[in-house]
Amino acid sequence: MKKFDTAKLGIATFDAPPTNTQRVAKDFGLDRAKARLPIATDATVNQELITLFKQHRSEFAWVALLQIFTVIAALVAPRAFGNLLEALRDGEGRAAVVNTVLVITLALTIQTIFAYFTRTKAAILGEFVLSALRERFVQRAVQLPPDAIERAGSGELLNRTTTDINHVTWAVRDALPVITICISEIVIISIGIFVTSPIFLAAALVTLPVVVALTRWYLRRSPQAYRVESSLYSQVNSVLVETAEGGRTIEALQLGEDRLIRTRSAIGRWLQWEQYTMRLRSRWFPAVSFSYIAPLAAVLLIGAGMYQNDQISLAQLTAALLYTQMLADPIEGLLWWIDEFQSGKASLSRLLGIYEVPDREIKPAEPVDDELNGSDVHYAYRTGRDVLKGVNFVIEPGTRLAIVGPSGAGKSTLGRLLAGVQPPTSGTLTVGDAEIGYLPVEQARSHVALVTQEHHVFVGTIRENVSLAFTDKSDEEIWQALTAVNAAAWVSELEKGLDTQVGSGGYRLLPAQAQQIALARLVLANPRTLVLDEATSLLDAKAARSLEGSLNQVLSERTVIAIAHRLQTAHDADLIAVVEDGAITEWGSHDELLNAGGAYAALWRSWRDEH
Amino acid sequence: MLKLKIPTPLGHLPLEDAGQPNLSSAPKLMWWLAMQMKRLLTTGTLFGIVGIGSMAAMPGFIGAAVQAVADGDQDRVNFWAVMILLLGAFTAWTTIMRHRRALAMWITCASRLQQLIARQAKTLGADLPRYVSTGEVVSVNSNDVERVARGFDLIPRFVGAVISFIVVAVILVQGAPTLGLLVVVGVPILVVGIGFLIKPLEKRESVQRTKLSRASDLASDTVAGLRVLRGIGGEDVFVNRFKQASQEVRFAAVRTAKMRAILHGLEVLLPGVLLIGVVWGGGLLVASGELQIGALVAFAGYSVWMVLPIQTMVEFAQRWASASVSGKRILKLLSVAPVSQWGSENLTHVESITDTASGLTVTKGELLVVVADQQSNTDLIVDRLGGYQEISSVKINSTDMTRYDRASIRAQIMVQEKEPTILSGTVLTHFDVKHSGRISIQEAITAASADDVLDSLVGEGLSAEIIERGRTLSGGQRQRLALARSLFVDAPVLILDEPTSAVDAHSEARIAARIAQMRTGRTTVIFSSSPLILDTATKVALIVSGKLIAVGSHQELLKSSNDYRNLVVRGE
Repeated sequence: MKKFDTAKLGIATFDAPPTNTQRVAKDFGLDRAKARLPIATDATVNQELITLFKQHRSEFAWVALLQIFTVIAALVAPRAFGNLLEALRDGEGRAAVVNTVLVITLALTIQTIFAYFTRTKAAILGEFVLSALRERFVQRAVQLPPDAIERAGSGELLNRTTTDINHVTWAVRDALPVITICISEIVIISIGIFVTSPIFLAAALVTLPVVVALTRWYLRRSPQAYRVESSLYSQVNSVLVETAEGGRTIEALQLGEDRLIRTRSAIGRWLQWEQYTMRLRSRWFPAVSFSYIAPLAAVLLIGAGMYQNDQISLAQLTAALLYTQMLADPIEGLLWWIDEFQSGKASLSRLLGIYEVPDREIKPAEPVDDELNGSDVHYAYRTGRDVLKGVNFVIEPGTRLAIVGPSGAGKSTLGRLLAGVQPPTSGTLTVGDAEIGYLPVEQARSHVALVTQEHHVFVGTIRENVSLAFTDKSDEEIWQALTAVNAAAWVSELEKGLDTQVGSGGYRLLPAQAQQIALARLVLANPRTLVLDEATSLLDAKAARSLEGSLNQVLSERTVIAIAHRLQTAHDADLIAVVEDGAITEWGSHDELLNAGGAYAALWRSWRDEH
Repeated sequence: MLKLKIPTPLGHLPLEDAGQPNLSSAPKLMWWLAMQMKRLLTTGTLFGIVGIGSMAAMPGFIGAAVQAVADGDQDRVNFWAVMILLLGAFTAWTTIMRHRRALAMWITCASRLQQLIARQAKTLGADLPRYVSTGEVVSVNSNDVERVARGFDLIPRFVGAVISFIVVAVILVQGAPTLGLLVVVGVPILVVGIGFLIKPLEKRESVQRTKLSRASDLASDTVAGLRVLRGIGGEDVFVNRFKQASQEVRFAAVRTAKMRAILHGLEVLLPGVLLIGVVWGGGLLVASGELQIGALVAFAGYSVWMVLPIQTMVEFAQRWASASVSGKRILKLLSVAPVSQWGSENLTHVESITDTASGLTVTKGELLVVVADQQSNTDLIVDRLGGYQEISSVKINSTDMTRYDRASIRAQIMVQEKEPTILSGTVLTHFDVKHSGRISIQEAITAASADDVLDSLVGEGLSAEIIERGRTLSGGQRQRLALARSLFVDAPVLILDEPTSAVDAHSEARIAARIAQMRTGRTTVIFSSSPLILDTATKVALIVSGKLIAVGSHQELLKSSNDYRNLVVRGE
């Protein structure tokens, strides 16, 4: 058996990393064109960071001020120590020692207290910013235009909601404070050196240009590499999630061993990039870390000469040497953490990406009634390949319409257009003369609501799952809705009834039960028009028919459009539309269509066993 | 820039075999993990020791240089300046070498754990949800694995810090006994003192983690159900629910951070106190002529340097605090041992399967279609026949199913559940399953009437991508794609649970005929009440309230059984 095989993973989203850095182009990394939701540009991310900073300017200022005092207090001890050395050399005894100890003790006390407050304040600020960030993300996510959600798929959004929020949390909680602390230390210690003697600052910063040049080299390559790396790391997780969630299918197909190979393959591909970034660091880190030892030698050599010529005191030289050494830690810290910060920034660009999803185009209107009218409706997912090819219809309010036809004929697309998920590519689709695809989502769904076979059960009670937005509905109304979908019986048999916890981690509903809950929501929401896209497909035929019957009684005044693969749904409807290859080929009542003797009639006869 | 490809200590990954972990306790699991990467651990730690040791030597070098300056000896100043440069270069080299090994350790450990978890998920297979929620598996994999791995990453630095600390302490004691003693006794006491703060920190961290995981669950839940929310409403309710959870996380995090700030304050204070002691004692020694100025500089330098080992120890304590919490969670997941009812006999052929609870029997070569009323739990009957639940009530070839080895049962009997999972990948990887070789992929696709599914995918032919487990496909498309896969496998016994429930009547008619043709000579059970499928059956079984009440052909049952007619005849 092969150790690993990335072909197992299907599409190779990312090529193997280049073998030498010369070939690293700027455009490798996350493919924006392929991403199913936008990824924010660096400019947007920086803009967002600046905005955040501006919003919390005074808190940032407080943290900075506290930090400055902390570092200044830290500068006292080396200088006092230098003074002591000089005093000792000059033969001053115990008094100088005691004085120095008092000064250092005072400085240390201040430094400790301020260090504590700096951290606390920074954490309060950081957590505030973080909570605002993740809440805003979720807030924005739920406002995405429905067609964007359809296009993106829930997985992509889910990934951003979990992995990326975690990465950003980590960056803000850990990396950001360290980086700001390091920067302020570098600045203030440099000032300390300058005050001791200006020439030392030049010596202390002699290698800074090298550091900057190397870091620029490194940062030109590393951010994208880290993005790919983190994305591939999360793919390792995705493979495992599939293995866990699809356990039954995997066992049935005897794919267990194959899943292990896939896990190895995903790890292998991730590691190719870990190796690449490790090579980048292997060049950058040592060069840079040596660059902060060199200044020490420089200060020493220059200082020794100046001391010989009585230009500086021993106290100044000692302090300068100690300060120069103090610079090492924050420079090193800054470099390490900037590195770590990259992945947080990459995640932030994915989080902020959802703000770049174009808003739904709105054409304000108020439907005058509930008549649905389609005129030359075209729709194409890809230009040039129309799924709907000029559909015309008028559906009177209160009609029960069944849409039937072979798979891939465009039934579901028509359903989505009817519910205003998106407008047609060309032609018009109106409800009460208002183009539903251009109404605000909230307005559109109060007229037409869509239930598909996708049946998410939310974490919460059955009551919460049915009521959703309508938290003011009484239990009685909820029971009525459950009764309408034939679900009241099994819900009342549950020990906690409406209060039963369902969804992930709770009581597991059967797919058919989940579908009933989905329909009960719709009954409670009570829109004027309902589009049911295979909404009873998971129930067995008998149950589906009985459910549809009881649903029809509750919804007697409403327009119900049912996309169905079961012909009995069509039989029960007032009107039937047969959709084939993107067009309505037959239209009329069951009897009319049977008399017409077309494709529907033929299918009906074979279905009914009327050979 | 260098063009040379620098080798990395990651070449051995991914592992061929993740090994057999010691699951007797969380510490033993950690120890086992460490022992699996002895070489990295040893070399990494070695670099940690010399690297941090070389950093520790710096104050001594600087002290000597200052003494040379004070003595006015320019040659000696030059010598020490060169030595400082050399030491700096050495430190830079050893540090990157340590980093590479430390990182390799976390990656080795993380990938090993991921492979172990994958293996565990494989072992539990269909039973996984019975023992542990899939959410738990996901969260362990995405959070806890990394935390444990990050613990190992710190070992080289930690060991280097401890050893350098001891060496410096010895130097100090030899240089000035009283002062040295102050350091040697003082620092460990202070570090232990910090240890007392770790416990409450750990507690707060755990609270914070629970809240974070709840918030993240709510966010995921909201996003996963977004289509429903956008279609019907309720966004605000769910956003508010998340906001509340998010705010709880915030407060818990601030509480943790305050505890951390105290720790940080101590990290500043402790070396400071040490420095004061050194200045005080050392100053007096210099004043009385027992110590040179340069030695005092070195002493002071050492006491400042002590920040590093102390910080490393604190960081180590913190990381291992969270690593041990995570270690327990990983242990819990890995030590889930399924209660096996299976035997060890190898099932080589299936003559018949009987579910004694319902009385249903399928015999070799049949195309049996099962029609059941609403009161029958068909899921359970499917699970029993296929060997997924209550296998003790099932007979194969007239003997107990429990006598057989699970894998051999799976190889003989394949169940396609009501909603089979489509795995992400390409069409080609979708069909990358064990199969008899009798049926080609194209034949299977045609039989399942799934050609149009391929057309709707992005990409050409078999390399077309199935995105996100087929979530972008309709239910009918997913169903036909899964059916094609099941037919391609061509198992001796194939059990299909409502395989065409989401397929339109038009396609269903075609599929039914092709299944019958393709499965000739094999054993097939289909749970369905569609006349189009029933018409192709060699035998039809009618189950009412969970019990078999009639067997016959479709036409026979239509004539003889009212129950049957009611269940299958549509319209009216």
